Amino acid sequence: MKKVTKLRSTVLAAAITTTFTLGVVGQATAGPAPLAPLDSIKVPIPPDNKLTPAKVELGKLLFFDARIGGDASTGCSTCHEPDQGWAWAEDFSRGYPGTVHWRNSQTVINSAFYPRQFWAGSASSNEKQAKSAAKGGVAGNGESDIMEARLALIPEYVKRFKEVYGTEWPLISDVWGAISAFERTLNTVGKYEAPLDKYLKGDKSALSKQQLAGKAVFEGKGGCIQCHNGALITDSDFHNIGVPPNKRWEEDGLAQITFRFEQYAKGMTQEGYRKAKSDWGFYYRSKNKWDRGKFRTPSLRYVKYTAPYMHNGIFYTLEDVVDFYNRGGKDEDGRTTPFPENMDKRIKPLGLSDQEKEDLVAFIESMSGPEITMKKPAMPPYAPLFTKAQLQAAQEAK
Amino acid sequence: MGVRVATGRSILAAVVGLGVAFSAQAGKYPDIGPLPQLKINKAKAELGKRLFFDKRLSGDAAISCSTCHDPMKGYAHPDALSPGYPGNGHFRNAQTVINAAHKKVWNHDGRIGTNLNDMTREMLTEDYIMNMDMRIMQERVKQDPKYVKMFKDAGYGEPSNGSVRKAIPEYLKTLTSRNSPFDKGKMSASAKKGMAVFKGKGGCIQCHNGPLLSDQKPHNTGVQENFDVFLDPNNHQAFIAFTMFQGIPDYMGLKRDPGYYNVTLVDEDMGKFITPSLRELKYTAPYMHNGMIKTLADVVEFYNQGGGKDSRKSKLLKPLGLSAAEKKDLVAFLNALSGDQLTSDMHVWKGKYPAEYPVIADWKNVKN
Repeated sequence: MKKVTKLRSTVLAAAITTTFTLGVVGQATAGPAPLAPLDSIKVPIPPDNKLTPAKVELGKLLFFDARIGGDASTGCSTCHEPDQGWAWAEDFSRGYPGTVHWRNSQTVINSAFYPRQFWAGSASSNEKQAKSAAKGGVAGNGESDIMEARLALIPEYVKRFKEVYGTEWPLISDVWGAISAFERTLNTVGKYEAPLDKYLKGDKSALSKQQLAGKAVFEGKGGCIQCHNGALITDSDFHNIGVPPNKRWEEDGLAQITFRFEQYAKGMTQEGYRKAKSDWGFYYRSKNKWDRGKFRTPSLRYVKYTAPYMHNGIFYTLEDVVDFYNRGGKDEDGRTTPFPENMDKRIKPLGLSDQEKEDLVAFIESMSGPEITMKKPAMPPYAPLFTKAQLQAAQEAK
Repeated sequence: MGVRVATGRSILAAVVGLGVAFSAQAGKYPDIGPLPQLKINKAKAELGKRLFFDKRLSGDAAISCSTCHDPMKGYAHPDALSPGYPGNGHFRNAQTVINAAHKKVWNHDGRIGTNLNDMTREMLTEDYIMNMDMRIMQERVKQDPKYVKMFKDAGYGEPSNGSVRKAIPEYLKTLTSRNSPFDKGKMSASAKKGMAVFKGKGGCIQCHNGPLLSDQKPHNTGVQENFDVFLDPNNHQAFIAFTMFQGIPDYMGLKRDPGYYNVTLVDEDMGKFITPSLRELKYTAPYMHNGMIKTLADVVEFYNQGGGKDSRKSKLLKPLGLSAAEKKDLVAFLNALSGDQLTSDMHVWKGKYPAEYPVIADWKNVKN
């Protein structure tokens, strides 16, 4: 049976509206947290889902297992493909067969640091994100009962779940826990450290001259640091920065279907369903009109591998992103958010020179270290649960 | 229901035991005969027909209703176990949907006892059947201008989940048996003799009665389990998902199909299945809820031996002692209950579906 989960967080919405006071455009103020190495913060581990090597290993298998989905053809890695930055290299995520998604697939790398998952923050943990993605109609489209049933018929999983969780049979709720444990290990620390981290930890040779010039733009004239700050290089907050709707909704029938489905599924009013022509973002959670068009600031770590960018993937290069901000939140055709009244007041034309823009891109690239690659593990096979002799005996006993 | 079954059972047991003239007992059961005509709304049925054959009505757009209910196979499926949704299998035989509109209870285990609207919803949304999120289905349908027009013409207005669930049942009404030798009164001599066995010595009419040749009640006939349900993990996963969702105790340890027990959770209902209609059998092999019997001759022999082995088997079943000729006549009668194949475009949508969803032009300015 299909179920809908709606998340409403008016408390959070209220908190967020008061988060920002007047930031001075174009200058680093005392407000934003300074950039910091990623290993200066720790991945939050929920007390009810401790990280163990066995659990991480199990979660890795599950992450790559397409049987965690509706027709056994889509798993987490289907839209979070390691070779595509643990994301999906198209504007919209590919979606469940027969559908297309309506937002860009975000990288799993460093996702465990976020206090809330998804572009509109609709999941408060990796566990909830995994469940939501596996079950969502345009993502995994899996139902708990059949996914759990499949695991019971894979002896390797039965054994591993028993070892990790002590249950007789794998439970679907533990699937989300194990996948999250695996995801919490996918961080750009240690050998995947970015040049910026090395620099921030004292290796002054880690950044080029140009990157240092870009850093000055990032923290100064560009004002980027106002939202992209701290060790994760994001404030994890929600802002309308002026990203225009993806034109694909005007040109692609399949995308139009998903667009309306999302309005329906996210609990829009009848009026909202009829008139929405863009992604209303954080509004779907808060239902406050001033939250229309707001999305969570993404981390800039690992962006070298995760093009295209923005919640709807409309920009394919970092240069395009920088140009967008430089125009004050407009694309090259002058298109902007349908909710300009909600646009963050700090988004203004920046007046960056070509050199400054190049420097900025070079600096943003220093936020990505080596690519995290991973060989997909072999999937453990199904096996019958009963022998013919057992079935014969049951038949005789009827 | 339980009381009526029990009464019939005790009378019958006495009758069969004493060997009283069976034809006299036939009157105790609703007579077999032609099905009533159903009033059909043509525009709605036509819409339902297009929906029935449309693969876009399943989650991954890979199967339609007609994948498992194939017109060429009497709107059933020739495999013992229905194929199910991609990624899994199934644990029961796909029943014909011919005459489904005449029934009062659906599914082999009788779990839908309301109407075909609910049955349609069940088939579309169940994860191991069509796994369709109906909100996505609605938007897919709205994306196809031909549907938009057909829904409007049918008086449904804008396409919606609700009207899909009305239109398909309207179409199913058109799938009513037509021109069987039995209905036309043109049976062979052998079939006529078979009918006498059916009503008499065979005792078939005890459960297979009325125009559908089914009492639509659950009985345990002791059909052998289909081990493929459990030996093939694709089938077993559907079975586990189903029994888990239905709240069957110890679903992981189950080595048999609980049948009607699923509805009541009463032990004595374990292994009972709803009597199927005997119409259109010619096209719908294999037989029984799990497709375990391949031919009608084998089915007749199964009952001739008093059914299968089950401690809860219906007391109505006793060895029949039918002669070879009687068995042959009975099969002839069963075949005479099949009518014309419903394979012309009167019943089958033969039009094409768009390869891609058409774009809604001027999208920014039209109402969703």
